[in-house]
Order: sequence, then structure tokens, then C-alpha cells
Amino acid sequence: MSAPTLERPPTTASPATGQGSWWSRHQREAAPYAFVSPFFVLFGLFMAVPILVGLYLSCTEWAGLGTPEWVGLRNYADLLTDASFWTSVGNTALYVVFTLLVVVPAALLIAQALNARGLRGRDVFRLAFFMPVVISPIVITLVFGLFFDTEFGIVNGALKAVFGFGGIDWTGDPTWAKATVVILVLWRWTGYLTVFFLAGLQNVPRELHEAAAIDGAGPLRRFTSVTLPALKPVTAFVAVTVLVSTAQIFDEPFLLTQGGPGESTLSVAMFVYRAGFQRQQLGYAAAAGVVLFLVVVALGLLANRLLGVGRDSR
Amino acid sequence: MSTMTARRSPAGRVLLYGFLIALLAVFALPLLWALSASFKSRADIFSYPPRLLPHPAVLDNYRGLLEAQPFWSWFTISTVVALISTAVSVLLCSLAGFAFAKYRFRGRNALFTIMFSSLAVPFAVIVVPLFIMVAKARLTDPWFALVVPWVAPAFGIFMMRQFTEQAVPDELLDAARIDGCTEFGLFRRVVLPLLRPALGALGVWSFLNSYNSLLWPLIVISEPEDYTLPMGIQALFGATGRQYDLVLAGSVLAAVPSLLVFFLLRKQLLEGLTAGAVKA
Repeated sequence: MSAPTLERPPTTASPATGQGSWWSRHQREAAPYAFVSPFFVLFGLFMAVPILVGLYLSCTEWAGLGTPEWVGLRNYADLLTDASFWTSVGNTALYVVFTLLVVVPAALLIAQALNARGLRGRDVFRLAFFMPVVISPIVITLVFGLFFDTEFGIVNGALKAVFGFGGIDWTGDPTWAKATVVILVLWRWTGYLTVFFLAGLQNVPRELHEAAAIDGAGPLRRFTSVTLPALKPVTAFVAVTVLVSTAQIFDEPFLLTQGGPGESTLSVAMFVYRAGFQRQQLGYAAAAGVVLFLVVVALGLLANRLLGVGRDSR
Repeated sequence: MSTMTARRSPAGRVLLYGFLIALLAVFALPLLWALSASFKSRADIFSYPPRLLPHPAVLDNYRGLLEAQPFWSWFTISTVVALISTAVSVLLCSLAGFAFAKYRFRGRNALFTIMFSSLAVPFAVIVVPLFIMVAKARLTDPWFALVVPWVAPAFGIFMMRQFTEQAVPDELLDAARIDGCTEFGLFRRVVLPLLRPALGALGVWSFLNSYNSLLWPLIVISEPEDYTLPMGIQALFGATGRQYDLVLAGSVLAAVPSLLVFFLLRKQLLEGLTAGAVKA
């Protein structure tokens, strides 16, 4: 965008005159391309090119120095027989399923509660629930980790006080460590998703509910036959967002447990990070990244097909 | 009074408020505990039963952090990087969003689809090659590496397109064109003022994204003097001895800018985030 031409006096800039610079005559046709071009330049440099480089690297063996050595599809074959990779896939699948089956319904439930008529302090609740996602994940995870500390943590302390036992090794036991990561995900993301559902619920006309109530529909019936259908676009949006972002989960397991104990909380994104930046297997990491990409795209398309997200965007 | 409110029993109300207040405790208590613990002496942080208020309240943790650690350097890098990224990405996203919303041009649908699909590209697939490219080009300076690759997020463009479609009437654009306004002038004088709430939403969103990011800085930044705030806190925590006292003080200070922009622009953010999802 050339600044001087934009500052031209209005008369020459008018398309009707047909005079002036090329830009002032064609600006109406050229403007949209100029306006979207910064995105596409950055997209090309920092996303499209890296994807192509990644595809190439995924067929090489390279520790970062010298020239990458072409190995064809060997990295992919190795991934298929790599137990660590499958562990990370299994863990990631667990996080995704948990988020879809627990976090999303919990968010809907909370949104439903917040949408109650005449509720006082709705905004305070909404803001407080949203807060964990605003604060840096490192801060959130540190505080959370202190709460779930085996020796000194308040959670174990409270369990001991109430139930008489509380020696749970939250981050040191493979099963509990998964549970802790999942609780962290629940704590961090529920309030965020609630905001979407609440906005959706507030868009459902009250009259619809009232009409259903007059027809004798109970709360549950009203929820399934009025609320849920009206929420379909929001639910679809939330489900796809959650699916795509949880499939790439990194921060929570990385900060809370470093993927451990062993590999019991390792996610696919962490697997890529570990291979690439801790073990210098750059080709192998790139291959794992490509696999993750394909899975995310497949899941996205599947969800799209099932929920019809794309069709709604007008 | 509708039948719904009439039928709602007092017991139901008690249950509703009980549920919400319990949730409030679950969401807010850990954060309040951290705030309180940051004023406790190291020995008191883990005393049991936990005391809600620090007694005695001490500033040692903050003093230790600010005097012995390069906290202000971390803080400055994170904040300035986030502010620059925010300013540039708000401009670029609203320009592109305006183009997608209000112009009919050849290739528009294809370009929009490419832009929208890029949302599904996992960071993990580009992280290794992107790091190699940035490192080979010797661009690992935080002012470049933490800003430039991320200043035109597809999500922001999508959000601004949704807003522009709703908030900017075509007649207004045509009227301004007849008055001789240039296309960029339209954007600056007509579109931007109408989009103000959405700009706020996108602004907080990108500030938080940049300010809170950890993985990419961790990969690309190697010099300790270039550390961002999350990296600094992570380094403190990872160092021997797990300096909980310093880490807690650092966490509280690190949360201040996030919470500040969030509270200042909360309304815009919450409405802006959901606009795309609800109206889709």
C-alpha cells in the first residue's frame, strides 16, 4: 500500500475521472488483494514453506548439522513400530475424549446455570470462571502443581482431613498423573467454553421455552427439545475447536509432569518436541508432526461432516 | 411473570447459587492462595492447615525476585513483544477481515478457504522446520522471532470478517466512495471506528496469546538475557531447589498485565470471541 497515493485529493481518487495513477484508477479492484496480502505473505513464509520443508525433512535423517540424509519413508515406518509414539497417541486420544465427553458437557451445564433467569452476579461468575485461561499457563500449572503436591499439597491435606487418607502421589503415579493432567485441563478450559455456550443460550428466544413450558414440557424435555437444537451451531464450533486444539495439547502435560512419570502423560505434540529439540532427531520429529497434521485434518473433516460446521458459515 | 420463574422453587435457587459459588471457589481459590502465599515466608507457604491470609505478611519473596533475578528484563521483553504483536496484528487482521467481508473479488472464496484451513495446521507440524529456517537465517532475535511469524493469525481475520459483516453497512461505504474516499481511507475513516469493540476483543486476544506463549520462545530463544517472562519463571522453577517463594512472587507479578487487559476489555473479549461461533 503506497501511502502517497492514498493521500491524494478526493477528485483524482474518484473512479469516475479515470485519471491519476494506476492505483487511483484501479484501487477498487486492487484494494482487497492489497488488504489480504500481508496475511498471505506471512502465511507463505511461516506456514506454507515450513509445511513443505517439514514434508521434505520427514523423509530425511538429520541431527541439525551437515546435510540431511534422504531415507525415504523410513521415519514413518519407524513411527509405526515406536512404542513411545503409540503411547503418546493413546494419551492424546484420552485427553481428546475426556475434553469432549467431560469438559464440553460441564461447560454446557455451567452455562445453563448461568443463564438462569434473574441470576444475580452473572458477570462476576462468568469472569471468575474465565480467569484460568487468561493467566499464563506456566503460572496456572505451577499453582496447580503446588495444590496437588504429594507431601505439602492442599488437595492431599484436605483428603486426609476429610477421608483420613491422602497420600496420593498425584504426579508420580502413572494413572494419577493422567488424572491430574486431565483435571488441569478441566480447570483451565471449562470456563472458556462456558462463555461460548452462554452466548449461544442467550440467543435462544425465551418465548420458545415459555411455549414449550405451556405445552407441559418439563425442564429436561425443554432442554433436549428446545435448548440443544438451538445450540447446534455453537456446539459444533466448540466441538471442532476443542478437537483440533486438544489433539495438539502441549502446555499442560509439559509443564505439569514433563510427560512423566515415564511416558504416561506424553502427548503427540510433546513427542515432536522431544524428538526434535531434546534428541536432535529432526527428521523423525518432522515425520511425527506430519502424522499429527494428517490426524487433525481427518478429525476436523470428520467433525465437519458429522456436525455440519462448514455449511453454517454464511 | 412467566410460568418458568413462577415454578422455580426457593430450594432450586439455593441449589443454583450453591453450585455457582462452589465453582467460584474451585476456580478462584487456587489463584487467591497463590496471591496470599506469595506474601508468606518460605517456611509458611506449606504450613498445614493452610492459612488464608499470610501471617506475618512479608515482602521478602518480591524483594528476592526483583533484586536477585533479571525480572524486569523478562517482564519488559514479554510486554513489549506482546504490545507490538497486538498493534500489528489488529491492523493486519482488520484489513484482511474487511476485504473478505466487503469486497467481491476473483479468488475470494479460494483465498478465504486457504486462510480458514490454516487454522487446522498444528503448531507441531511447522515447529521443527520453522525453527530451522529462523535459526539458519539468524533471526532468533526475540523482536523478530516472537513477533513477525505470528502477527497475522487466521483466527483474528475470521473474527474481524464476522464483525465487519455485521457492523459495517454497505450503504455507508458507498456513500463514502461517492464522497471521494479512497479504499484505504474507507478502512481508516469508516470501518475502523465502527469496529472499535471488535478491535478491543482482538487486541486482548492477541496480547494474551503473545504474552502467555511458552513453547515457541522456549525453542527459539537461547540467550538468557532474551528470556521472556514465562521462560524466566520456568527457569526459576527448574533451577535446583525449586524456589517456590520466588516463583510465586513472579507468578503474581506475571499475572498482573494479563488480568489488567482482561478486566479492562473483558466485555469486548467475551462478546468478540463468541460472535463468530453464535452467529455462524
